[in-house]
Amino acid sequence: MPLLEIKNLKLDFIAGDKSLRAVDDVSITINAGETVCLVGESGCGKSVTALSIARLVPTPPARYVGGEILLNGRDVLKMSKTDLRGIRGGVVSYIFQDPSASLNPVFRIGNQIKESLKLHRPEKATDEEVIRLLKLVGIPAPESRIKDYPHQMSGGMQQRVMIAMALASEPKLLVADEPTTALDVTIQAQILDLLLDLKKRMGMSILLITHNLGIVGDMADRVAVMYAGQVVEMSPALDLLRRPLHPYTKALMNSVPKLSSNLQRLSAIPGNVPTLGNFPSGCRFYPRCPSAQPECANTMPQLVEVEPNRWVRCLYAKSL
Amino acid sequence: MLSFIIKRLLHMIPILLGVSLITFFLMALTPGDYFTQLSMNPQISPEKLAQLRAEQHLDKPWYIRYLYWLKDAAHGNLGYSAAYKASVSDLITSRLWNTFLLSFAATLLAWCVAVPLGIWAAVQKDSWVDRLCSLIAFVGLSIPDVLLALLALMFAAATGLFPVGGAQSSLYDLMSPGEQIWDRLHHLILPTIVLAASELAGIMRQMRSNMLDALRSEFVTTARAKGIPEGWVIYKHVLRNAINPLLTIFGYSLAGLLSGAFIVENIMAWPGLGRLTMEALSAKDYPLVVAGVVMAAALLVIGNFIADLLLAWSDPRIRLK
Ligand SMILES: Nc1ncnc2c1ncn2[C@@H]1O[C@H](COP(=O)(O)OP(=O)(O)O)[C@@H](O)[C@H]1O
Ligand SMILES: [Mg+2]
Repeated sequence: MPLLEIKNLKLDFIAGDKSLRAVDDVSITINAGETVCLVGESGCGKSVTALSIARLVPTPPARYVGGEILLNGRDVLKMSKTDLRGIRGGVVSYIFQDPSASLNPVFRIGNQIKESLKLHRPEKATDEEVIRLLKLVGIPAPESRIKDYPHQMSGGMQQRVMIAMALASEPKLLVADEPTTALDVTIQAQILDLLLDLKKRMGMSILLITHNLGIVGDMADRVAVMYAGQVVEMSPALDLLRRPLHPYTKALMNSVPKLSSNLQRLSAIPGNVPTLGNFPSGCRFYPRCPSAQPECANTMPQLVEVEPNRWVRCLYAKSL
Repeated sequence: MLSFIIKRLLHMIPILLGVSLITFFLMALTPGDYFTQLSMNPQISPEKLAQLRAEQHLDKPWYIRYLYWLKDAAHGNLGYSAAYKASVSDLITSRLWNTFLLSFAATLLAWCVAVPLGIWAAVQKDSWVDRLCSLIAFVGLSIPDVLLALLALMFAAATGLFPVGGAQSSLYDLMSPGEQIWDRLHHLILPTIVLAASELAGIMRQMRSNMLDALRSEFVTTARAKGIPEGWVIYKHVLRNAINPLLTIFGYSLAGLLSGAFIVENIMAWPGLGRLTMEALSAKDYPLVVAGVVMAAALLVIGNFIADLLLAWSDPRIRLK
C-alpha cells in the first residue's frame, strides 16, 4: 500500500455564484521513502493539491467535489476533525515558501517547535529535544537560538527552523512547497542538501513542489507535472529528464536555466498561463502547444500509461 | 528596556513645555483677565487690584509671566486660583481624580466589550453576530457624544433610574460607607456608557479587521498544519498578532477619550478636569487654565507612553530595536 494515494481529486473555489475548478482529476501516489516532485508554472494548482493532503485548504472558499486522498489507507476527506488533527504533523508535515511569514512573529522559535512536540510527542516536549532538532537541521549554537524570535534569524535559518518544527512530530511525509523560492541562490542549494540528508537519515517521504525543473534531477525519484489544474505527465525522474513525453514538459525543460550553456536568455513558454475559469475546452495546453493538432481543441485527453510507469495526458503522446 | 523608558520620559518634557508656552501665548491674545471683572466692583480699590495683579505677574508681558510660571512649576507650585481662592494643585488633584475615574471606567467598559465582540465577529464572519456587531459599531460611531449625553440625561430624567448629572448626591456626606460607594457608582454608570460608546465601536471594528488580517496570515496555515486545535490557533496565534496594532491605537483612543470626557463632563455635570478648565476659561482664571491644559496634555503623553510600553511588551520586533 502506498503511503499517499490521491485519486481523482477535484476541488472548486466558490466565487460568488460561480465555482471554479482549481484541481481537476488529480491523481498522485507517493510510496514510503520516496521523493516526488510536483512541477508546474505558478497558479497551476500545486499548493492547493499539496495542502489538500491534510485538508488544509479553507472550506469555504474551497469545496472538495470528488476523489479520495488515502493516507496510510484512510481517506482524509472523510476524517473527523480530531483524526485530522492527528495526521496533521503526525503523518504529514509542511514547510512553505516564505519562512518569515510562515513562522509566527510574536513567539520564540523554541516555543513554536515545542508546540509540535506537545501535540505529537508530549513526553519529548523539552528544551533538550528542541536543541537536538535545531542541531539536526544545522543551526549553529542552538542553545542560544532557542530563545530567538523569527525576525532575529536570516531567511535560510528561518527555513531550517521550519524544517525542525516539521520534523519534530516525526512525520511519514514531508511536504515542501517551494521551500527555496524566497531564499538567496546560495542558500537554496544548502536547504535542498539538508532535505536530501535528512531524508537519508530519517527515511520519510518527501513531496517537493517547485517550478524549477532544474532541481528535479538531484532530488526526485518521480515527477508529476501539473498544468491548469491537471497532472499532464507523471514519470520516473530520470526518464522524464532524459525524454519528456508531454509537449508541456518539453517546453518546461527548455525554460530551465542551464549553467553549462552560453545561452543567456531562457526560452520562456510562449503564451499565457490560462487563469482559473478560463481553461480551454479540449486539451488545456493546446493554445500554447507547438505540436497541437486540430483534434486537441475538442477532445480532453486522459492521463494514460503510455509506457511502463509513464503516464501522459496527451492525445498524441505515442506519436510525438 | 530601561533606557527606552527613560528616553520616552525625557521626550515628554519638550512637549509639555511647548503646550504650556502656547497656552500662555493664546491667553495673552485674549483681552482682560480675572481681575477685569473685579474692577467693576466699587468696594475694591484700584490700588488693591494693582497689587493683586502684581502678585500674579499680570503687569508683566506674557513671556516673563511664563518664565515665572516655569520657575514655580519646577518647584511643584502651579499657582493660586483667584476665582476659587485655593491652590491650583489642590483643585486639579481632586478634579483629576474624577476625570481619571470616568476615563478609566469608560476605557475598561469599551475594551472589555469591544475586544471579545470583535473576535467573535471575525471568527463568525458574515453571521448574524457579525452583522449585529457592525450595526452597533455604525450606531456608536455616528451618534455624536453631545447628542448621546443629552439622550442619556433625558433617559435618566424620564425613568428616574439614574441620577441626572453630577458625581454624587447632595446627601452624600450623611451616607454610610456602603451607600456612598453605591452612590458614586450609580452616578458613574451613565457618563461611562456615553463616553465608552464611540470608543467601543471603534475598537470593535479595529479588532475585527485585525483578526481577519491575522487569520489570513501564512503562520495560521503553519499552525493548523501542525495539528493545533482551531481554538488554540485563534486564541494563541491569531489573537496575539491581532492585538498588537490595537495597542498602538490605545494612545490615540486615550486622546479621544479625554476630548470626549470634556464634552460629557460639561453636559452631564461631572466635576472633572474638563469641566474645571472650561469654568476657569470663562472666568479667565489663567493659572487654572494653564494647569488644566498642561495636565490634559500630560495625560495624553502618558497614554501614548503606556501604549508604547504595552506594544514593546507584546511585540518582540519593537522591543529589540
Ligand atoms: N483561497 C483561494 N481562493 C480562491 N482561489 C484560490 C485560493 N487559493 C488558490 N486559489 C486559486 O487556485 C489556483 C491554484 O493555486 P495554487 O495551488 O496556489 O497554485 P500554485 O501552483 O502556484 O501553487 C490559482 O488559480 C489560485 O488563484
Ligand atoms: Mg504555490
